[in-house]
Amino acid sequence: MTTYAQPPATEITHAPLPATSKGRLFVKWITSTDHKTIGYMYLITTFVWFLIGGLMALALRSELARPGLQFFSNEQYNQMFTMHGTIMLLMFATPLFVGFANVIMPLQIGAADVAFPRLNMFSFWLFLFGGTMATAGFLSPGGAASFGWTAYAPLANSQYSPGIGADLWIVGLALGGLGTILGGVNFITTIFTMRAPGMTMFRMSIFSWNVLLTSILVLLAFPPLAAAFLGLESDRLFGTHIFDPANGGAMLWQHLFWFFGHPEVYILALPFFGVVTEILPVFSRKPVFGYKGLIAATISIAALSVSVWAHHLFATGQVLLPFFSFMTFLIGVPTGVKFFNWIGTMWRGSVSMDTPMLWVIGFLITFLFGGLTGIILASPPLDFAVSASYFVVAHFHYVIFGTVVFAMFAGFYFWWPKMTGKMLNERLGKIHFWTLFFGFHMTFLVQHWLGIKGMSRRYADYLSTDGFTTLNMISTVGSFLLALSMIPWFINVWITRKSPKVEVNDPWGYGQSLEWATTCPPPRHNFYSMPRIRSERPAWDVNHPEAPIERLH
Amino acid sequence: MKTNWVLFGGIGLFYVMMGSIYASIGGDPAGIACLFLSAALALLVAFYVWFTQKKIGTVLPEDNLDGEIADGAGELGFYSPHSWWPLALAVCTILAGLGLIIGWWLTAIAVGLLILSVIGFVTEYEQPEAEAAHH
Amino acid sequence: MRLRPKSPRKNALLAGLLATAALTLTGCKNGSVYGYESDLSSVNETSWHLWRGAWLAAAVVGIFTAILILWPVFRHRRKEGDPQYPKQTQYNIPVEVAYTIIPFIIVAVLFYFTARDQAEIIAKEPSKVMHTIDVTGIQWSWQFGYKDGGDKAVVTGTPANPPTLVLPQGERVAFDIYSNDVVHGFWIPAFMIQIQNLPGIKNHIEFTANKLGEFPGRCNILCGRNHSQMVFKVKVVTPTEYKSYVESLKAGA
Repeated sequence: MTTYAQPPATEITHAPLPATSKGRLFVKWITSTDHKTIGYMYLITTFVWFLIGGLMALALRSELARPGLQFFSNEQYNQMFTMHGTIMLLMFATPLFVGFANVIMPLQIGAADVAFPRLNMFSFWLFLFGGTMATAGFLSPGGAASFGWTAYAPLANSQYSPGIGADLWIVGLALGGLGTILGGVNFITTIFTMRAPGMTMFRMSIFSWNVLLTSILVLLAFPPLAAAFLGLESDRLFGTHIFDPANGGAMLWQHLFWFFGHPEVYILALPFFGVVTEILPVFSRKPVFGYKGLIAATISIAALSVSVWAHHLFATGQVLLPFFSFMTFLIGVPTGVKFFNWIGTMWRGSVSMDTPMLWVIGFLITFLFGGLTGIILASPPLDFAVSASYFVVAHFHYVIFGTVVFAMFAGFYFWWPKMTGKMLNERLGKIHFWTLFFGFHMTFLVQHWLGIKGMSRRYADYLSTDGFTTLNMISTVGSFLLALSMIPWFINVWITRKSPKVEVNDPWGYGQSLEWATTCPPPRHNFYSMPRIRSERPAWDVNHPEAPIERLH
Repeated sequence: MKTNWVLFGGIGLFYVMMGSIYASIGGDPAGIACLFLSAALALLVAFYVWFTQKKIGTVLPEDNLDGEIADGAGELGFYSPHSWWPLALAVCTILAGLGLIIGWWLTAIAVGLLILSVIGFVTEYEQPEAEAAHH
Repeated sequence: MRLRPKSPRKNALLAGLLATAALTLTGCKNGSVYGYESDLSSVNETSWHLWRGAWLAAAVVGIFTAILILWPVFRHRRKEGDPQYPKQTQYNIPVEVAYTIIPFIIVAVLFYFTARDQAEIIAKEPSKVMHTIDVTGIQWSWQFGYKDGGDKAVVTGTPANPPTLVLPQGERVAFDIYSNDVVHGFWIPAFMIQIQNLPGIKNHIEFTANKLGEFPGRCNILCGRNHSQMVFKVKVVTPTEYKSYVESLKAGA
């Protein structure tokens, strides 16, 4: 079916051809090659994984509320946090980036789809089946993998972790990782070759730039992970000695894993930094502040992120402390620059605190704190005090949850009309935000103090004489509040099914990037017509020609 | 296009520099290898984009600061309307992986089906050659 | 500058900030609001000042930035009668350069003190070391070998019966760190120090315990089923008591 960039001869209707039955709709979705449909499948599937990982978190927190093992054995607890981490990082947050990138990026660059639509769907299935395979370990006699999502050697080998749960985990994740790599290839190719006329690289939206840089990181980080997994599985299946401690295997694993692991957290962060960068200007009615500086900062972060991995290995006593602490401190600088660019976008703007903006402010406050504790951890002497304790658990939940989850909901509320043609309810959105905000901080703020007091991470239990009980109880109560915050969200999604349809291209009124120049939702190949592109905010330029970008010269 | 190969080339050269510094101050072999291989990947892409731009010669509409939407009028390209092959390919890939754990017979079957799926995927939209050539 | 009536949102935010401040302060039982005693061990003597300085710097930067974030939310909020469009500023090079350079300077200062302090902590000073102890991590407890007492002066713990690491006050001890099986983590939280027990590798740290007392020690690298029970106790005694302890191990083994 060759696609032509001409207006259709027949009358434009906004209603898509309805599937005649649920069965046909199902087939339509599973054979889809439309980046929007595939994106929605990613968003829905990753949200389900988020809920599953969240239930596991509640299980962990329930166990830790009081001293003594109440609900789980040591082994079951180890499986629970291993799969919690694995699911949240590799089946929720990473594919969530792929989901948002799929839905939004082609619209923002004026493309009709991605470069390789069928490969796109192949990546989705690898994600779904690989993740399911890894989690299916729970159904095996020995249970799921229980060595932490970091799978350190030799704990993860066949001697210390027998049982196919571990093998299912390794192979499932390796195949899911293949899907992510192919997704990265798809996005880079799309951005390089399928931009609309006039959409130069330096007119592209910041979200699309971040998708590009994240995809580059995916190409650099996931192959070493796949190599490490293949080596580990080879040791387990064929008796090779790649990660044998006698051959330096313990350190080799940590180096390979974290060479992936550190860029991975930037793979998680950068797209969602992009999401908030899209929302801030719309609700401040000004352009992004320091567009080129933001891109330079993001490129710096992407490049540097591949050279800091051994800050996860400070406590091994086997790595070059000055080199890695210097690089880690350095990467804080462009991150700080981005913060000030975001503040500058709001500064002297005309700020309206709609729900998407509320989520963005929540992200800014939360990530600020998480970033500062990261600077603390970047210093080896300070890392020696609190590494592998609850301080680190608190730090990474602040930065990852603070970025991914806050920006995810910001993106949902913001782009819901574009995706579904309906607006989400503002009042419920605010209840959702505040409940989650208080629940999150109540859960994780006290964990910094727990780590300083000396509670190790990945502990199933502690003694009543340890002095950890009160803080753990507070944290557990917070986690349940956090869980409850999902209720207003689900109610919102349910009741707005029947909301009035959005009739305009830009319901927020001050949209800037190209997706706001097409219908809500867009047609099959995204644009029936496209405005001229002369700046980084083509939709704004056509809707608000009287307020162009103020250039200082 | 220029931005694209400069981006990848810059990243590649940065990793060459990082790998060299890391190696000279006594870094671990895995880290050194990963840094240089990352550089090689980035430089490979940079070279390909540079080479392609050189071959094309002209400024593409998307890189033209004064590009008009009408410049992109005409055939955009072929977009698959829907396809079963991605699912087939993924099922075979997963079964091949599962076979590592369950048994070699499964991997063998899955690899066979995988080869067929790849052929099906790749040739899905091939058009038959002109009739005249075959008579 | 118009005074605005206090909005319910502002009240909620203040309440939230106070609540979180209260929560963080609930943990203040360790004597020091910074969480560690400044001179409990030679490591503390080095790290504690960096820890306190880093937190003060973080607080200054954090509060400053938080105010900057919330300022537009309250003071640049759209209200009735505002013009439709604010000034469409896209960049300001001097400001951008400033907020690139200032964080760089802050980070450079932190790195200087970090580099200085970490060199001190990981330094090997064979001439100052008075005792050597072998620390072996095993699934799931610890084995301490007091070299002063020869090969027999070894204490092995079990998860049900965690061992005690006896240390002499004021005397520098070198620790040779081993693992019998998987990676473990030798961590004494109060002494602000930890190092991994890596199988196939001999690790090494040195420090001096300065105050008498008992302090918890834990394994903090996941090592399998009973990781949570892989604890030990550090007991700092006078040098005389230490000597007689080692003698008793040597004799009674």
